[in-house]
Amino acid sequence: MGIEISRIRRQFGAFVALDDVSLTIADGEFVAVLGPSGSGKTSLLRILAGLDQPDAGSVHRDGQDLLKLDARRRGVGLVFQHYALFPHMTVTQNVAFGLRVRPWRTRPKASVIKANVEALLQRVELEGLAHRYPSQLSGGQRQRVALARALAIEPRLLLLDEPFGALDAQVRVNLRNWLREFHRSLGITTLFVTHDQDEALEMADRVVVMNRGRIEQIGAPEQIYRQPATPFASRFIARGQSLPGKVKAQHLHLFGRAWPLEDFSLDNVHDVSVHVRPEDIVLASRQGEGLKAHVLNLRHVAGTVRASLRLEGLDEPLEAEWSERDWARHGGIADDTIDVHFHALAIFGVDREGHVRQRVTLHPSHVNSPVAVGPWRRIEA
Amino acid sequence: MAAVAAAISIGGRPSWVMRTARTLLVTGAIAVLAWLLVLPLLAIFAEAFRQGAAFYLDAIRQPDTIAAVRLTLTVAGIAVPLNLVFGLAAAWSMTHFDFRGKALLGALIDLPFSISPVVAGMMLILVYGKEGWLGRWLEPHGVQVIFALPGLVLATVLVTLPFVARELIPLMQAQGSDQEEAALTLGAGGWQIFFRVTLPRVRWALLYGVLLCNARAMGEFGAVYVVSGHLRGVTNTLPLQVDQLYQENFSAAFAVASLLALLTVLTLGIKRLMEWRHGDDLNH
Repeated sequence: MGIEISRIRRQFGAFVALDDVSLTIADGEFVAVLGPSGSGKTSLLRILAGLDQPDAGSVHRDGQDLLKLDARRRGVGLVFQHYALFPHMTVTQNVAFGLRVRPWRTRPKASVIKANVEALLQRVELEGLAHRYPSQLSGGQRQRVALARALAIEPRLLLLDEPFGALDAQVRVNLRNWLREFHRSLGITTLFVTHDQDEALEMADRVVVMNRGRIEQIGAPEQIYRQPATPFASRFIARGQSLPGKVKAQHLHLFGRAWPLEDFSLDNVHDVSVHVRPEDIVLASRQGEGLKAHVLNLRHVAGTVRASLRLEGLDEPLEAEWSERDWARHGGIADDTIDVHFHALAIFGVDREGHVRQRVTLHPSHVNSPVAVGPWRRIEA
Repeated sequence: MAAVAAAISIGGRPSWVMRTARTLLVTGAIAVLAWLLVLPLLAIFAEAFRQGAAFYLDAIRQPDTIAAVRLTLTVAGIAVPLNLVFGLAAAWSMTHFDFRGKALLGALIDLPFSISPVVAGMMLILVYGKEGWLGRWLEPHGVQVIFALPGLVLATVLVTLPFVARELIPLMQAQGSDQEEAALTLGAGGWQIFFRVTLPRVRWALLYGVLLCNARAMGEFGAVYVVSGHLRGVTNTLPLQVDQLYQENFSAAFAVASLLALLTVLTLGIKRLMEWRHGDDLNH
């Protein structure tokens, strides 16, 4: 059954934080809500935790109306971005808090609380720090205390607000794997919000992409990366870059050439976006083939070569990415220009309300007969 | 200013102009304080003991003086807890809720700082006096406010209203409400959150505010002067007693004044001690 979020709307004055948001989370799932700041992801989290109420819509858990339960009785564990640990309590006291504040009839015995807290601290690998105060812990340790504290109440839903936002890069990557494994061993339904694409794609079973209070796409990480549903998802997750393409008479016109585009209808389409990912800008095997690009700069980063390219007819430089191997095989550059092909283009037709009506992936080199004369050939990867 | 400070503290060896300026400023500040504050304070004690310890003890053992001490402690003992509760409530609502008239509440809390205590006393007379708006009703029912303990307490509460709230508001604002929200999601109720999370975090600032409030409550003269009626041994607080004695018995007045000064110095001593031990908690 899991959690059913249905048509949630939340507005702060004129600002719409959540606009008709619906989402179903299965039991035990690990879901990432990914979006830039101001996209509404934290608003959604606060509504699920009971710290805020939506203006419209509903949230059900196994058929039970969650919005009718206040935050205190909801059984939702929330880990704040800055952890919100109680600074005047030790690690043990922090973790025990949720059990100690229970009404005496349901409060476990002191010995039970003690055993529970010890077990939790062991789980998050903090046994030795039980008597420290939060100010004496590192960022990663604090986060694990916050996690243990949230888990102490045995929540049925765990919410994490930017779980790695306040940590430095090294700790962040280590903790990612740790948290992924931790979730697997626990099996508790978990939702975390982040603005970091890598984090979301690497950790979550499913990713929910949000922008301006709306859900742009829901899907498995590889699916979203491969087939972004909207121009925003393409830009934000697949690093899609805009190209000045036009669709006319069943053809895509781009940089003075045209390719047939049969499955693309212009009904209700107000605006067409053509996107290319950095890794889909491939090196032409021979000079004089493909598009001439001026290389603005080259960076060698961790086994890849990243380049900023300037193409004629395009104001913004294009970012391209090749493996070091391909780059070596290509043989470097002569007088700052190279020839490139587009391996795949994503084409979106968007209506006046901003909804995507048409979405097609075109492989220009796969199309048999380019209409305009052009030496576009398939490049073997 | 920041640039100047940085030049003084960071920029290696300061030039002699800087050093001279620093010495002059520090000496100047100390001199002014010594001249305006320390010297007169010492003078009070010197004057109090001029006719000997026996006279001093005699002066402060007068029944009227003892009654005044008792009244002062009673008034402070009622007014300060009232302000503690009010200050906490006001600071909490100012920092945790958004509501219409929030700015107005902030301005009203500050009003007693800017209004003259004499005027504050007059306002109370207008409302609670024999012919006052409420006094007209209260007095026939046997409730006397003006020229009695309730009036003294009201005047003191009014004048010392901002101390606790003003101490707490910036601190609570800086702390935000994340921890309270965390406690809520962990299942804590309103009072549990207040006593286990909020109060421990503001305890030193609260105590600090209470001490300041207390010092002012015991020393308040203007507003209390207007509403007290100066009934010796009945409605005279310590400051009023000092004032009356001053007209009649110069040395006795100073003996009692030294007692009041002692109470205040004691309060400030505790305050200093707290700043020294818990300065970190007060500042953020």
